[in-house]
Amino acid sequence: MVVRNYNEELKYLEKINPYCWRIKKGFQPNMNVEGVFYVNNTLEKLMLDELRNSCRPGMTGGFLPGVKQIANVAALPGIVGRSVGLPDVHSGYGFAIGNMAAFDVSDPKSIVSPGGVGFDINCGVRLLRTNLHEKDVLPIKEQLAQSLFDHIPVGVGSKGIIPMNARDMEEALEMGMDWSLREGYVWAEDKEHCEEYGRMLNADPSKVSLRSKKRGLPQLGTLGAGNHYAEIQVVDEIYDKYAASKMGLERTGQVVVMIHSGSRGFGHQVATDALVQMEKAMKRDQIAVNDRQLACARINSVEGQDYLKAMAAAANFAWVNRSSMTFLTRQAFAKQFKMAPDDLDMHVIYDVSHNIAKIEEHVVDGKVKTLLVHRKGSTRAFPPHHPLIPVDYQLTGQPVLIGGSMGTCSYVLTGTHQGMTETFGSTCHGAGRALSRAKSRRNLDYKDVLTKLESMGISIRVASPKLVMEEAPESYKNVTDVVNTCHAAGISKKTVKLRPIAVIKG
Amino acid sequence: MFKLKLTALGHPNPESFNCEDEKEYRSVVLWLEDQKIRHYKIEDREGLRNIDADSWKEAYDLYQKDLVSPVSDGSPNEQLNWLLSYAVRLEFADNVTKYKDAKIEQPKQAAPNVVSSNPLDNLNFSSPAFVNGVERVCALTGVGPHSDPKLRLSAVAKILKTSPHPDYPRTEVSVVQQPADVLKLLFIQDLRDLQTKINEALVAVQSVTADPRTDTSLGRVGR
Repeated sequence: MVVRNYNEELKYLEKINPYCWRIKKGFQPNMNVEGVFYVNNTLEKLMLDELRNSCRPGMTGGFLPGVKQIANVAALPGIVGRSVGLPDVHSGYGFAIGNMAAFDVSDPKSIVSPGGVGFDINCGVRLLRTNLHEKDVLPIKEQLAQSLFDHIPVGVGSKGIIPMNARDMEEALEMGMDWSLREGYVWAEDKEHCEEYGRMLNADPSKVSLRSKKRGLPQLGTLGAGNHYAEIQVVDEIYDKYAASKMGLERTGQVVVMIHSGSRGFGHQVATDALVQMEKAMKRDQIAVNDRQLACARINSVEGQDYLKAMAAAANFAWVNRSSMTFLTRQAFAKQFKMAPDDLDMHVIYDVSHNIAKIEEHVVDGKVKTLLVHRKGSTRAFPPHHPLIPVDYQLTGQPVLIGGSMGTCSYVLTGTHQGMTETFGSTCHGAGRALSRAKSRRNLDYKDVLTKLESMGISIRVASPKLVMEEAPESYKNVTDVVNTCHAAGISKKTVKLRPIAVIKG
Repeated sequence: MFKLKLTALGHPNPESFNCEDEKEYRSVVLWLEDQKIRHYKIEDREGLRNIDADSWKEAYDLYQKDLVSPVSDGSPNEQLNWLLSYAVRLEFADNVTKYKDAKIEQPKQAAPNVVSSNPLDNLNFSSPAFVNGVERVCALTGVGPHSDPKLRLSAVAKILKTSPHPDYPRTEVSVVQQPADVLKLLFIQDLRDLQTKINEALVAVQSVTADPRTDTSLGRVGR
């Protein structure tokens, strides 16, 4: 690889408008298409600082800076359009988190890469609404937080309270949310308001290793650790009254529940297993990539298809997982308020996935093409009238749920036509890390973090308080910067701002 | 290829003719000249008769030039197509009286006459209203004139399929936009009805299958 200093690197980057930068070919070797990333002034500084640091002599090892990773993805075989970095982009395994890339399915050389999906397959966010007002909840906020904490097991090594055997698991992997529906854990309307209707049809549990299934079985219905959480939030500000009312969000102070979780150890094992298979496939098919972490296989190879089927099973696992937690949340609320979840109007507003690869149709250079779209730390954001979004959101565009870092705010956005043409209908997914986990542990004290949250009036229940500084707001980019950039760049539209009043965490 | 024209001209085996095969191609050209076109005197046809000779190509080029073929620079398929059409024309000219009264046999309708409930099927495609409507849509999408409005309409359909967002003149926005909006809203209403029925069906099935259980003794909070 060529070694250049920071100023030489900058020659390959061009600011094309106040919110968008272009990464020219040549920034990394063999780029098939250009790269692009969306930032505002604050995020731009973080992004370029990261690049500057990596240019310092003696900086080797660790993850490559996000810009470099975006460019490396642009060098993968079969990529079309541009390799897109969203405002919350930060270094990840192979692909940056906050990177989307689409590959032409009709090109036999096109690839699928587990690094482009991430280890937490179908990590995503679900938002439930209620008809409660903040003032109904505040007096019993602590009890409600405790009740949620008791119902939803959290943390590393937690186990779920929904009894399941191996056969249930096989069925759940194949059926996704249809399993939860059949067993009565969710409502029919929940399925309607879920990306892919909560089920990837190409899931094949027989392509999943026994080890993954063993890891996954006890974890169904658990939140997990890391950045996952369940939050009780209130509507803080409404930007788009019409779209918000379509989602059943009518007034500020309305209480909602956000669940951010994924496929737990199951998805992690599926990804790990696939990476081993893909290294073999790369050698056989002579696929050259810039970074070893970008292990991949041709979409139509056995390894590629096996991965897509196993990944779909993991996606179904995640939907069943979030559905189980929906059930438990409704129970917790029903107990505290002594009312049926129906009467509390606890409907699912939407459920988005932000770590997934899906076959979609897009218009590329005026022609309709079938693409395999990788979204890693990136949320699908389809515009109004798109056939794949629920009928209730046909006029507003797909709701996009953006979970902020712990204790800060979250947002609901909607998809736009501009996003459809510029980013294959994709937008940001959250705040995006600014400090590494290790750095956060070194620089912050967990007691300070907890005190600060309390002083903000946020009830918090954590399984492992000593890891809480990894998730402190200081460790993340400012979610408001991220969301404002997406809004200003036109790739999605701000609808509602949410503010937490209670947090449950691993 | 060329089956219809060869059959019309009475070629011995129109079914199996393969125009990609050089030899068959040459023999058909010779057959056309010998039997139908007869542009040269018999003794002048020597060049075309030497099917296996390399000089055949030159003779063929000269032959086309002599016939004043407009496609003598075209692909072999185009050239042959013109020759066949020319031969058909000569054949017709020779027997005008015979062919003039020819009637096209209506193919027997295999299926019983189904009365369609689709209002589009019952449109009168030659009515002035239809023709005018097509004229206006064509002007917006830039489709050129043609005497058959149905053909123009299918051209419009093709444009809509290949480029989903045709640019229409700004002044005409409401002409296209308003009906499109109405259609979209009607569609959404239908879709909502369908989704409600689906949900009702799911709930009906749930009343048989659902048995959600929890067992708190299984739960364990992690670290």
